[in-house]
Amino acid sequence: MALPLPPGLTHSEVSFLAEMELVTVVPRQRLESIELLSGKTPPLRPPHRADLPLWLALLLKKQRRANILAPPWLHPSSLSSIIHTETIQDPQAFSPPPPPRTRASPSNPGIASRPDSDSSNLSAPFIPSSTADAPAGFLPYHWLEVAESLLAHAGDDMPAPAGEIRSLLRDLVEVRAAKMRSSTSALEGFGGGLMSLRGVGAVELAESRGFVLGVVDGVRKIGASAEATRREDEENFGGERGRAGGDDDDNESDEEMGI
Amino acid sequence: MSYYDIDSILTDAEKIPCTFQLDVPDLGYLDNNSGQTLKNGTRIALPLWLAEMLAIANTGDADEGKSFISFDLPPALGNDVVQALKADPRAVPLRDQSAHFYALATHMMDLSEEPELGSVLRKTFVTRAGEIALHARKVGGSAGGKGGASEEGSNLGVGGAGEEFLRGLDEWERSLFRKAHDGAKAGKEWMDNVKK
Repeated sequence: MALPLPPGLTHSEVSFLAEMELVTVVPRQRLESIELLSGKTPPLRPPHRADLPLWLALLLKKQRRANILAPPWLHPSSLSSIIHTETIQDPQAFSPPPPPRTRASPSNPGIASRPDSDSSNLSAPFIPSSTADAPAGFLPYHWLEVAESLLAHAGDDMPAPAGEIRSLLRDLVEVRAAKMRSSTSALEGFGGGLMSLRGVGAVELAESRGFVLGVVDGVRKIGASAEATRREDEENFGGERGRAGGDDDDNESDEEMGI
Repeated sequence: MSYYDIDSILTDAEKIPCTFQLDVPDLGYLDNNSGQTLKNGTRIALPLWLAEMLAIANTGDADEGKSFISFDLPPALGNDVVQALKADPRAVPLRDQSAHFYALATHMMDLSEEPELGSVLRKTFVTRAGEIALHARKVGGSAGGKGGASEEGSNLGVGGAGEEFLRGLDEWERSLFRKAHDGAKAGKEWMDNVKK
């Protein structure tokens, strides 16, 4: 009541966080390494590629000091294959998030292995999921934010006309929003109520959070009295069982310990 | 539910049909017989808060242990409404039954066990929620447009039927619609602001 903001992150907060995502740039000018709170940026030596945070890449792009390489999943072919997956192959679930990065080990060439989870940061903002060597065909957590700001500020660096990519993105947004709506129907029967949100992006969560929480809360309130009755029955049943075992003192105390 | 929750207070004011189980002197004015005794067995619609108290409270007669009144389900939760909801949850304008339909129903389920009502309501709520989200998103799409809401709505296939459905939402569903609409609107605003 007291807080004007709804729970969870708003759209602008989410897109601010998305600016931490690394993207690959091709610099046009030399730039020494900058010491940031999150670590040093790589020194820029044209024409070698480098991975920079999105905000810095956009700044350099606006000053015409660098070109941004679009992440592979933003290519029209990758987007249309994702739309194909979402609509035809698996119309129920969201398309899966990118797999953890694999790394070829020098000792046995040709075999890639996943790095140890403690040596690499696997949570969302620290995976280099929007760089030039990110896997195609998988949408990372911040896909919509990164795609929108790249299209808005670096439209001329995109692999295809911005309008084409934009319309594919719109299709994808609509398909996934429809899935988000229908995902609540899993709550219909008693006992059901698992909605898998695997692969849902941050902006989509921000958009649907209020609705989904509202539905879950409503279902909880409707089921509250039935749930209370069920608990009471269970308690009564448990009590009877306790009384039945009352002859054996050890047995009873064991049961109480168990509870 | 908070003490100051206005919807909860309004829900308590909903009338439910009650039957008195004993004679009460000088309460006849409730039944348009002022000055008379209210007879045992009289049926009167009482507000929920009063009915709840009277139904739970004991007359003090330890032998009989009878309560003052017995109550039935209000007409909003009557058999024909439940049957209609079973047939098609989306076709019933819940607001015509009661503006606080779900709140009333959950309250009644607390007072008396209605296992069937619970499952019907759950199905109704979830089915209608999907429909609500659809409308919230469509209206959200038209809110930023140049044209009037109704005009844009018809372009998107909402039309008169959608408006009718939205008019039949009870308070829970209205707040759900508001939440879904706020989300869609915030998304649209953000999308427009990215270019700046």
